[in-house]
Amino acid sequence: MAKNMKIKAKLKGDTVNAKVIAKHAMLTYDQAKAKGKEANFITHITAKVGDTIVYDVSTSQFWSKDPQFKFKFKGAAKGDELAITWTDLSGATTTESKKIK
Amino acid sequence: MERRKFLGLGVMALAALPATISAITSIDFRATKPDTWTAHKVDDAIKALFGDITPVEQGIELTLPSVASSGAAVPVAIKSDLDAKTVAVFQDMNPESATAVFNVPENGIIDYFMKIKLKATDENGGKGVITVIAEGRDGKFYIGKKSLDVAKGGCEG
Repeated sequence: MAKNMKIKAKLKGDTVNAKVIAKHAMLTYDQAKAKGKEANFITHITAKVGDTIVYDVSTSQFWSKDPQFKFKFKGAAKGDELAITWTDLSGATTTESKKIK
Repeated sequence: MERRKFLGLGVMALAALPATISAITSIDFRATKPDTWTAHKVDDAIKALFGDITPVEQGIELTLPSVASSGAAVPVAIKSDLDAKTVAVFQDMNPESATAVFNVPENGIIDYFMKIKLKATDENGGKGVITVIAEGRDGKFYIGKKSLDVAKGGCEG
């Protein structure tokens, strides 16, 4: 599995705490222009447990390089798979998952 | 008696099942509200996303460093007990204002953290404001704001 993300998901009481670092240059339009490259950044992130969406966000170029984010949700158990998918401006999509500890 | 207890528990367990997070479908706000992402002013971005709204300043807890040493990765934490369906984050330091729009699952927890880029320039003097708008499932709008300073030179955003 390609290592495009670092995912940690831990159940505390009835709540899962998820921490993610996504590997992405998050090149803004200004940065891209300065470097003579195409702008490219993550535009959407969705996290699911099974078929249930637990996190869904549309993002901009202004998330940091290799963006870090955290979120919490209920309704999952230890051993469930938390699957995170991001899509970037170029249309590339990456999904990686991790068992909830 | 034992049997009765057992049956009772069974009914309870069944009843508890649907109380988990209701299914939502993913919303791509970049596709549904494209003008939000090209707006250069916070007010314009809010208008493009939500229309003409009069939000009440209530119910949103925003945690930021008062001075960010680097604009390349400024930690932003948002917490709320509001029953909101949408939570949007804007800032006034970068060329465009919209930073994130969360589509909140029903019974979801609003406790978000992310790191963002903020560009300190001569114009803004390294001073900025983060604005969060929540759209409640009751149809009302809520706003939370906080200002911060960003050290210059840390960001090429």
